[in-house]
Amino acid sequence: MQIKLSPQHIQTILSEAQAAAKRLHRRLGPASPGQEDLCQDLLIDLLRRLPAFDPKRGSLGAFSGLVLRNQSSRIAMRTMKERRAQGGTMLSLDAPLSQVDPRPMSEVLSNQDGLGAWQGQCVDARLVTEHSIDTGRALGRLSPRDRAICAGLAHSSVATLSRRGFGSRSSLYRRISNLRFALALHGLGPAWDETGRA
Amino acid sequence: MKHTPIHAARPNRPVTEIEFCAWVAQALPGDRLEYHRGFLVLDTFPVFSSLEAKAREALRKLADRTFHVAEQGLVHLVQERVGPDCFAYIAVARPKPKSASISLSELLLEGEAA
Repeated sequence: MQIKLSPQHIQTILSEAQAAAKRLHRRLGPASPGQEDLCQDLLIDLLRRLPAFDPKRGSLGAFSGLVLRNQSSRIAMRTMKERRAQGGTMLSLDAPLSQVDPRPMSEVLSNQDGLGAWQGQCVDARLVTEHSIDTGRALGRLSPRDRAICAGLAHSSVATLSRRGFGSRSSLYRRISNLRFALALHGLGPAWDETGRA
Repeated sequence: MKHTPIHAARPNRPVTEIEFCAWVAQALPGDRLEYHRGFLVLDTFPVFSSLEAKAREALRKLADRTFHVAEQGLVHLVQERVGPDCFAYIAVARPKPKSASISLSELLLEGEAA
């Protein structure tokens, strides 16, 4: 059903959406999306459902309130589900652990508990050192040509290297493909697993 | 006199190019790897080979890689006759050449300067 929105209607819709966004933002806590983002999501949903508004059944304010309340619930449930999937809500690193232990969490977390470890980075100092030694040894055994392309790729894209005279793009991609084998030959690649081959 | 044991590996499924390189990286001098059994030149030839196209292409790449690695002085390539028109193709690891390590940060600085 098409409805004509007067300036008064628009003002009603906007103020209802802003109030609902404020409530939702407070409910979701500091880790939630910004209040303006929430307001936008709520407003888009309300505008989409506006054709269903029937002035004979109630005022636009009441209709908007109902629609915004339902959409707020849906957003809140989705956010909580995402947080549960991530293993919990976010915590401040500066907040004390408990009343018994007043130390902030940042003093208690080890490198193994940090974001780097979660993303698969190696945080064991011994392993990092060994990897650094292995990398140096492998780089020393690469041909000067392969070493040059490694150095070039660290700072430039293939297109840039091609423009600077390292060769055509197709030849560069072929060399990069071969680099994988060159690095594996010198220990920087998948490990040979004898038991896996049996 | 203490002798270092030599490991000989004969995988029960085809070795891939990257697996061959991984073996070379960890092999000690004298270690052996049978990377193919059959008649290599026929097995990589479309008309004579009983392998499917994908497997044949992978074998051809493996053969090229083993030759390239031998040219770098990392392996010896030998063959052993096991039957009529059937050979075991073996890579024997050689001592790794000595070379100075290069620091990654040095390399990155060189790349930046270039």
